[in-house]
Order: sequence, then structure tokens, then C-alpha cells
Amino acid sequence: MQPGGTLVAAIRSEPRTFNRYASRDLTTEIISRLTQDKLIRINRATDQIEPRLADRWTRSADGLEYTLHLRPGVEFSDGVPFTSADVLFSFKAVYDPKTASPLGDAMRVGGRPLQVSAPTPSTVVIRFPSPFAPGLRLLDNLPILPRHLLQKALDQGTLASAWGPATPPSQMAGLGPFVLSEYQPGQRLVFTRNPHFWGKDARGRPLPYLDRLILDIVPDQNAELLRLEAGQIDMTTDAVRPEDYRSLKQAADQGRVKLIDLGVGLNADSLWFNLNRKSKAGDPRAAWLQSEAFRRAISYAVDRRRFADTVYLGEGVPVYGPISPANHTWFWTGTPETPYDPARARALLAGLGLTDRQGNGRLEDRAGRPVRFTLLTAKGSTALERGASVIRDALAKVGVTVDVVGLDVGALVQRFTTNAYDAVYFSVYSTDTDPALQLDFWLSSGSAHLWNFGEQTPATPWEAQIDDLMRRQVAAPRLADRQALFDQVQKIFAEHLPVLQFVAPRIYVAMSTRVTNATPALQRPQLLWNPEVLAVRGSSGTR
Amino acid sequence: MVRYLLRRLGFAVLLVFVVASASLVLTRLAPGDFATEAFGLGANPRTVARARARYGLDEPILTQYGLWLAHAARLDFGTSLLYGRPVAQLIPQRAANTALLALAALLLATLVGLPLGVVSGSRPGPLATAIRLVSLLLLSMPPLVTSLLFVFVAARTGWFPIGGMSSLDVSGFGLVRDVLWHLTLPAVALALPVAAMFERLQSQAMAEALTQPFVLAARARGVPPGRLIWRDALRVAIRPCASVYGLVVGTLLSGSFIVEIVTAWPGLGRLMYDALRARDVYLVTGCAAAGALFLAAGSVISDLALAAADPRVRAQ
Repeated sequence: MQPGGTLVAAIRSEPRTFNRYASRDLTTEIISRLTQDKLIRINRATDQIEPRLADRWTRSADGLEYTLHLRPGVEFSDGVPFTSADVLFSFKAVYDPKTASPLGDAMRVGGRPLQVSAPTPSTVVIRFPSPFAPGLRLLDNLPILPRHLLQKALDQGTLASAWGPATPPSQMAGLGPFVLSEYQPGQRLVFTRNPHFWGKDARGRPLPYLDRLILDIVPDQNAELLRLEAGQIDMTTDAVRPEDYRSLKQAADQGRVKLIDLGVGLNADSLWFNLNRKSKAGDPRAAWLQSEAFRRAISYAVDRRRFADTVYLGEGVPVYGPISPANHTWFWTGTPETPYDPARARALLAGLGLTDRQGNGRLEDRAGRPVRFTLLTAKGSTALERGASVIRDALAKVGVTVDVVGLDVGALVQRFTTNAYDAVYFSVYSTDTDPALQLDFWLSSGSAHLWNFGEQTPATPWEAQIDDLMRRQVAAPRLADRQALFDQVQKIFAEHLPVLQFVAPRIYVAMSTRVTNATPALQRPQLLWNPEVLAVRGSSGTR
Repeated sequence: MVRYLLRRLGFAVLLVFVVASASLVLTRLAPGDFATEAFGLGANPRTVARARARYGLDEPILTQYGLWLAHAARLDFGTSLLYGRPVAQLIPQRAANTALLALAALLLATLVGLPLGVVSGSRPGPLATAIRLVSLLLLSMPPLVTSLLFVFVAARTGWFPIGGMSSLDVSGFGLVRDVLWHLTLPAVALALPVAAMFERLQSQAMAEALTQPFVLAARARGVPPGRLIWRDALRVAIRPCASVYGLVVGTLLSGSFIVEIVTAWPGLGRLMYDALRARDVYLVTGCAAAGALFLAAGSVISDLALAAADPRVRAQ
């Protein structure tokens, strides 16, 4: 590995902030990974936790308390020593109601914050409010902030607006491998190596390898790919779109770029219906729109192979449950597969009293009303828009009329949170492979409980069962027990199908041939999750 | 003339006020807001509510509008929710970039479109037919297609940068040269349809002007054809182009929106696009007001150009 050189990556949007506690978008996450560090990080390649600012830890007998020993001699990029006071400060900041940090909820267990104390400047004790099997994985969410620079903002209740894009780089400091040295609005961010970064490679050489890492702001994805092929950038922001795969494969075959197949993705786009009884009270369609048989009919009516071919141009695999087969630890191998069977779909629909009474190929209910619903999706995502079209066409073949409506994400979220919708087709990204860190999806009271938002107590016995199993799963100390419990959750899910998945796309990433030592991962940011080890060939010069 | 200009200035202020107010109200009325967009699907409602309160998005729309008006009267146009910076700081830099792009495109379109229009309008024949055909082709190509095509060609040939406004590590005179190099593709992409429109307008106006009695009389007096076309007839034929100049400025600004995104030009269009996507109500309002200001300025320039070309307008 030759140290030095400059790597240019693309980002799609301007930085909203340099403060990860104030924003959850991908650009902020990337900047945070470049400039800040965490006590513990999930190695995205192995999916295991690895020590960062905490180099070792012990767990109490009851499993609730962890004592973390901080790496000695670590300094912020401005030379100020890092101590446990910075860890305390970071926890205080993330839980501060005035900050209203999007990280705050991810740092709670059962809705309650962790209790943190610092017996010495190099020791931190973290106590979980209840048994929590993923344990320190939770800390992957929390970059450590410099108390000496942000204490005043926290005291004044202005931490959320601290470190905005207008902040001069000299007023910020971090523990990450790079420091921001220049921001040219609308064009690029230039990061240079942090001379105080603690990391060293296996041979004892200081990390990061790169002298500079530049994030070019390229809002258009087509232009981003052209720049990559022309050698003007070294890597793209996100996974390759299905429609770009062929041209990139050609460029890879010609040796112009590297195209890496990361395998089947962890996330499949999801279709769910509004099962909130109150919001559909008085809607004559509720009897069939909220029924399990209707969802099962849809599952039979959609040809997942064709879906993969049309939406992902063949680069996807059918999925039948909420956990992708790529999530090896948690995927239930017994997940029942639903074959493409339109006849069975029609039979299920007929069982609900939905038949073609007028002989026009479209179904009506017993009162003669058309079987029709609106499917909301996010505007601007080609995969989602194509997927929604495939669903519409598949359902038209069994007589169900679907009106696909594309909305901005903000508008879609508003319709979702007010339960003002029939059905939604959307990408819901999981931030971790461990289901215990996605309780907001699984628990009926969770904020990402897609099919019945705002539900306080389980609306159905099977949701109560899932709640109970998930609570036990989170607390179970042994992995095998947790897996067995989660298999049961997936079984119940398959029986009731509150959310339908069709295809998980294969994930490809592309980078220039001069990039070395990259360890791409399935989760975002696929290529920049460990920027300290990235290197480039021919690094004596700069770009 | 002074009264006329004052009247136009008053109109410009009114236009900016109406556009800004409408933008604020419409952005607020549209479903969703900055907090729902920023936190996404599945966020804790309490966290979202706290953020909404912090940004003042929980206020009734009339209260928010009233507060904005009160601040705007003191030239405080609010703080961008997206970037946490005063809108009045964010806009000028981006507006200057857009103005540079739009002016370069306008200059290019004028220098190419007008002479070609004069030629095709005054000299019927194969050359005029070829010019007309090219113009029609360019008119049918929106800046999106042209800019994508140019970016593709730039990627394949390496003749021009694929995007951005300047290269890294360039300063001084080199920076000026570098910005001009980066400006070429977006400016040409933006200019081509406008040049084609100028050509078509100018061609028709020139053909008509050449049938005017004063032109026939001048020709009968032996005025050389070149002078007749480029001086006497052009003075009359320029009016249609002069009168649409203001509208063209507006077209360039709206057209630059997509060109800026494709070519990564850091202008107002891109800023507004980001603001709209994030539902940043104050930034959207500021960008819309800046756009209206551009349009109003273009309209005044158009009127002045028309007055310069037509003594009857000056006399009004």
C-alpha cells in the first residue's frame, strides 16, 4: 500500500451541515465518517463490531453494564486530548430535547436513554436500561463530538444549528482520519489527512493512507457515471443503478473502471397497506383493502421473476419476507415462497366477494363498486417508479385497478404519518442487520411500524405475539435463542403478510482502477465506510 | 423616461413581493414539510414535532407569513432550514453564478442568432434554408437534452470538463481561464435554443423589413445592399427581438435550472431545486424572489433596448 495521493469521490447533494447530530442524510453521514470517529464501529465487511476510540471493554455479570477503556493518546484534529468528558458530552448532546437529534431514538433502548458515567478520564461506563443483546453495536450510531468546541452551543440549546455549512473549517475538529480544509459551495469539499489521527495499519504506518480526499458535488447521476468513466472521479456515491450496469460492465471489461458485485442487497422495496382501522372507518373498501387474503392475492399475482427482470434488469432475486437472504444471520430459511399464480390470486379475491360482475375484466365488490386503490410511491426513483408500474400491471391482470401516484418524500411521509393513504410502495433502509436495532419496525408501538402507524397497543393478536417475541429476542443473551425467536417472528409475518416484498436487487459498486484497498459493503456508504484505509495507485501526484 | 423607469421599478418591486409571498404560501400549503423530509419515514413523531417547533413550522401559515414579512421589511429573508445560513447570504453567490451563466448564454445567443437571422432573412436560398433547418432542430431540443449530449461528448473526448465551475488548485488568472473553460458547455447548451429563436424571429422581421417602402426607396437611391441590410433594415427589424429580450432572460433562468443540475454548475437553479426537494420554505422563497428580480431586470433591459431601437417608444 503506497501512502499519499488524492482520491475524488462524488456526492449527490450539498452538505446540509457538518454536524451529524443534526441530519441523517447520506452526505452528512459520509462527512461524519471522514471527520469523526466512534467508540465502537460495525465493520461493514464482517458485520462485527470493532474497537475504535474504545480499544477494549468488559461487561458486567448481569449484561447491563459495559466498562469501556478509551484508547490512550488520542487527540482531536486540533490537538486537544480526547477524554471520557467528550463521550459524556456526546451522550448528553444526543439526548438533549433541544437538539432533537435524529440519532437520539437510535441511541435509546425501549425508549429509554443509556446511562453513562466517566469514573476516570480514560474510562466510560455505559449502563443499558434493560437487557439488550446487540449491546455495544448501538454505539456505531454515535460519532464523538469535541466538548471543548461545542459545550457552549449545547448549553445555549443551539447544538442542532452548530457546525452549519458556513462554519469555517478552523472552528471544527474531530477524531476522524480527515479534516475539512475547504468547502466550495456547489462544487466540492476538500478533506486533508488529520495529522492527529490515532489509526495505524498492521505494519505500524499511520493512517489514513490518502493525503487528500475530495467530495465532488455531482447532483446528476448520469453525469456522475460519465465522470467516473472519464476518470474525473474515483468512486460513486451509491450503488450502481440497474440501468447503468451494462455500460459500466462494458467499461469494466475494457479496464476503464472496476465494477464490484456485492451480491444480493439487504433491502427489498416494500409494499404495505394502511391497516389502521380508524383511518379507514367508513371506507367501504376497508373490508377487502385491509384483509390478509387481499395481500396474499397480491403476492400471488406478482411474478417476482418478471419483476426482477423489468425493474432490476435481471439483477435481483425474489424475496418473500422482510429479511433478505443476504442477511445470513437473521434470514429464516423456512420462509415460505409464494409462486406466481394468478388463478390462485383470483380465487382468493373471489373469496372476498371481489368478482368481475360487469364482464369487463375488472373486479367489483358485492355492492358493484370497482376494486381500486391508490399506490403512493416516491417520485424520482426509477426503481420505485418501475416497481410500482409492474405491480399495477400485474394486478390489472387479475382485475384490480391500481392508481400509482408519485410524491416527494416529504409529502409521502406526511400522508403516511397521518394514515391518509391506501397503500405505499417505498424503500425502507435498515441501518443495521440486527433486528433488535429495528424495533421501531417490529413493535406495534414503533414509529416505523409501517402498516399501522401510531398504534399504541397491538391491534391484532398476531402483532401482540410479535411484540412479545421481539422483546424476548432483544433480551436473550444467546445468539441461537435470538435466532429461534426471530424465526418465529418471521413465520408470523409470513402468515399475515403486513408488508410485501418482491425482489432484492443485487448491489454493484463502481470505482476507478486506481483505487486500492477498498472493502465495499452492502450498506451505505458502500465505499466510504472506512475511508482511513482507502488508497490510490500512482499517488505521488495529485489530481 | 425617468417616470417610465420609476414605474417599471415599482412594478419590479411588486413582482418580487408577489412571487416571494406566493412561494412561501404555496410551499407551506403543499403536503409535508422540512421536518418530514429531513427525518424521513419511520422517525419518532415526538422528535419530528420538536424539530418542527424549532424551525417554526408548527406556527399557523398566516403567523409565519406575517413574521416573514416583518423580517423581510428589514431585509432579513429568514434562515435556510437546510443550510442553517441566512438566505440573504446564500442567494447572492449562487445568483452571481447563474447570472454569469445566463449572460454568457445570452451573449452567445445574440452573437450567433441575430446575424444568422439577418442572413437567412435577407438572402433567400440554400444557405437560408440550411440555417432555418438547424434552427428548427435546435428549437426542438430542450437544454436538458443538449446538456446531456454535451456532457457525454465531453466525457468521451476530454475536450471540456464534464461539470463544475472550476478545477481544484487553480487561482489567479488561471482561475478565470478555468471558469471560462467550465462555462463553455453549460452556456452553449443554454444558448442554442435561444439563438435558434433569435434567428427565427430576426429572419422573419428582416424579410418583412426588406419589403418596407423606406427600404425600397433607399435601394432605389443606390444605398449599397450591405449597408441597407445591416444598418437601415436591421434598425427596424431588431424590434421583435428587443421586445422579447426580457422574456428570454426569464427563459434562460428557468432553462438554467436543469442545465445547472446536469453540468453541476453551482447556480441559483440548483439551490432552488435542493430547497424545493427539502421543502426549505425560506430558501425557496428567497430563490423565487431572486428569480423574479432577474425577470424584472430583464424586462427593464428589454424596454430600454426597445426604446433605443425605436424612437417612438422613447417619445412615449
